[in-house]
Amino acid sequence: MTGGRLTNDIRTLRFLAGEMSQAELGQRIGVTRQTIAAIEAGRYSPSLEAAFRIADVFGKRLEEVFHWEP
Amino acid sequence: MPHREKLAWLYLIAMAVAFVPYFTYTAMDPPTDALPDMGRLMRLAAALIGQAVVLGIGYLLLWVSNRTEARAPADERDKAIERRALGVAYYVLIAGAVAVGCFLPFTDTGWSIVNSAVGAVLLAEVVHYGVVVWSYRRGVA
Repeated sequence: MTGGRLTNDIRTLRFLAGEMSQAELGQRIGVTRQTIAAIEAGRYSPSLEAAFRIADVFGKRLEEVFHWEP
Repeated sequence: MPHREKLAWLYLIAMAVAFVPYFTYTAMDPPTDALPDMGRLMRLAAALIGQAVVLGIGYLLLWVSNRTEARAPADERDKAIERRALGVAYYVLIAGAVAVGCFLPFTDTGWSIVNSAVGAVLLAEVVHYGVVVWSYRRGVA
């Protein structure tokens, strides 16, 4: 695998969505609270489908939520 | 801590509780070739029953402490971690099976082979649950 990492703005977007909890976001996209925490911390890269679902919850496009840092 | 990480710890603890005493005893009193050795068989059975009891109690405690998480199906991260853990443990199990099945019959007999087989399975299980714990703690890409 080449270098680079996936970052995201989920924490900020949750704050802007009225302090949406990790549990609520997880429930809406079908994963556990711990998985949302792992995604936010960069310890887990979600599947493309989960990433699209997360973006959809916040009404954003995928690239507005997730960023690739080479 | 995710429910499935707790389960992995439970399996590791149950294996330690049941088989550390068993293999300690085996190391202190190496088996002879006299078969069947009912005493040794009973000790192996006691280790397996001990493991089952620890697992049963642990499952019950985890279930009671958080039923919502215990009932929740595995999500994509849980499945990714399980795939990784099984993938690593598979090679350990295959190496153990080759050693026990192909080489030990030429050098050992009886209980030495039995204990080596049990040890190979345990080692694969330890690697499996160890990778699960490691992946929940350190992440999985």
